[in-house]
Amino acid sequence: MRKILLGTTAVVGAALLAPAVAVAQEAPTVRIGGFFRAYYGYTQQTGRNSTQVTTPATPGSPALVGSTLPTGTAGGTGNLGVDSTGNVARLSKNDFSTDAEVHVFVNGKTANGLSYGAVIEIAFNQQEGRNIVQQRASTGKSTASIDEYYAFIASPTFGQIRFGDEDGPVGGLMNSGVVTNFGSGGVYGDRESFVSRQANDRTTTAPGSLGDNTKIIYLSPQFFGFDFGASYAFNYNEGEDTGCSSNQSSGYCDTAYAFTGASGVGIAAAGPNFSARRNEVQAAARWRGSLAGIGLAVTGGYVGAGAARELSLTGTQSRVFNNLNVFQVGAQASAYGFTVGAQYEHGDANFFWGNTIRGDRPMDQFFAGLSYTAGPFTVGGNYVIGTFEGNSRSQYNAAGAGSNAALIANASAPGATGYGAGMMRRLGYGVGGNYRLAPGLDLLAEFSSYTVAERGRDLDPSNPGVQDKATAKVFILGTRLAF
Amino acid sequence: MKPALIAFGVLLPLLSACGGENQRLVQNDEYGDWRNGRARNRPQGASAGIVVFGVDKDRETREAAATGGGSGLSVNAYLWRATLDTLSFMPLASADPFGGTIITEWYTPPSANGERFRAQAYVLGRQLRSDGVRVQVFRQTLDRGQWVDSPVSAATNSDLEDKVLARARELRSQSASR
Repeated sequence: MRKILLGTTAVVGAALLAPAVAVAQEAPTVRIGGFFRAYYGYTQQTGRNSTQVTTPATPGSPALVGSTLPTGTAGGTGNLGVDSTGNVARLSKNDFSTDAEVHVFVNGKTANGLSYGAVIEIAFNQQEGRNIVQQRASTGKSTASIDEYYAFIASPTFGQIRFGDEDGPVGGLMNSGVVTNFGSGGVYGDRESFVSRQANDRTTTAPGSLGDNTKIIYLSPQFFGFDFGASYAFNYNEGEDTGCSSNQSSGYCDTAYAFTGASGVGIAAAGPNFSARRNEVQAAARWRGSLAGIGLAVTGGYVGAGAARELSLTGTQSRVFNNLNVFQVGAQASAYGFTVGAQYEHGDANFFWGNTIRGDRPMDQFFAGLSYTAGPFTVGGNYVIGTFEGNSRSQYNAAGAGSNAALIANASAPGATGYGAGMMRRLGYGVGGNYRLAPGLDLLAEFSSYTVAERGRDLDPSNPGVQDKATAKVFILGTRLAF
Repeated sequence: MKPALIAFGVLLPLLSACGGENQRLVQNDEYGDWRNGRARNRPQGASAGIVVFGVDKDRETREAAATGGGSGLSVNAYLWRATLDTLSFMPLASADPFGGTIITEWYTPPSANGERFRAQAYVLGRQLRSDGVRVQVFRQTLDRGQWVDSPVSAATNSDLEDKVLARARELRSQSASR
């Protein structure tokens, strides 16, 4: 595979670097851009408050278990430890949220017509949660970090190559039908800034959730309305360095293809960069054009990836995951200020683009959206419904490592005694609008709701009883400035 | 599956070179920018932002387009040209197309040896308007071997402005008929 990859790169390189028509060389420019936004949010969420689930042995002392992760979601060591003291909290519905990014764009052109450059996007949301330790030993929530950064070379004849941390063709670059051009994006908007992770109703399976892992991307020129793109990434990780967190190599290492605990991170652990996904390939083709004054765009895409193997402490590898295998089609039409679009996805994946455990069922997701723009006003709505395996039907069994017994039936999964066979349903919608005060400056209002339901499965172990349905509703009012 | 994928990978860039004139480079702002909505929100798409290093080609192009000539002028091209034509009988001391000022040297008409003139003209904006040009004429007369300032008849300035405007209209109609 490696030889072939190198060969391919050489062919592409030779094609790209071949002398083209002489064009005036342009010295590189460096631009600064970005955005700032500030929102007020009103949040109603199932499982926003936590409750002690076990009665304390003596009144006043903490319960044995305060909060745990929902079963079957990324239970790897990448998640923060649960609050073992059993402390609980009540959360207010009101909050403000600010965010900004500063983007650096470098652009130049060589004498033979190649455009080149780099994009570096600096974000200020390095940490989602809060470390309650003194500041000198922890990072603040608004610490600077990198969102995406990549370099590119482009030629009118041979297209563009991007190399770096960037969305892939299916993961945001070339999608059609994902209508999010109103409010902050509706159900795929900035609602996550207000929703806690407690009952599992924060994370969506949007195209962009595929991640910015370091990849090499080829994007073709457009001809007869068609263009296509493909990307390859070795693993799920970003940035410099190995990712190994200690002297002993572990699953945190970017390049680990078999590690202890892999079976817990089929769905990436909360916070990125810890996932079983390996050898990710994305490919997409789209057509754009207009018929009778109606602007049309259609995209078909595929994302596939292998998965790391579970590794027993004695060094036996077990294959526990299905490959990621998802097909996507989307289409949209625009006329008279209206944009209407829809997208459908089907294939082997769990929610948040996780690898499913072998024996799990494939996902289906349907998205539809509509927006209308009149002068400075844009209003719209979007809707998404999907079924996913949720809690896997099998689990890793260390005792059987390397044999067929490495996977055994999950006693707490749908299908086991006492549980229904239903899949996890994830359903959301958003409606909103914005008013453009000045170029780049928007006022926006938006309401969105997202529900996760999986019959018989406790999505919120931090509250008593079986909570098998959770909903988060968020109202956002705020402003956003792009510059 | 694998050989097919590989063949596909090699063929993509090569195939893409066969589009001929129906082919163009897809610009960076035609690709989605997940979650940040960069392209959809920015005032001028991908060329927005502040240039901190290098020459801002987009801005140069925009400004050239605004003057109508693409000639690097920051004032109305017809008025500028017409002013130069009108004052061309006098030697020029300086002409600044960005500030829109034309200043001539002292000029003595062959018919009148005892007096000399100098003119300053200002083209005031990008629009072709009747108040878009102002001309100021200075006159000196020879008095006992010394040049001394003397008044200019009030009509001289406005007469010259009228000539500039007439010439500008002429230039405009010529370029429109082309």
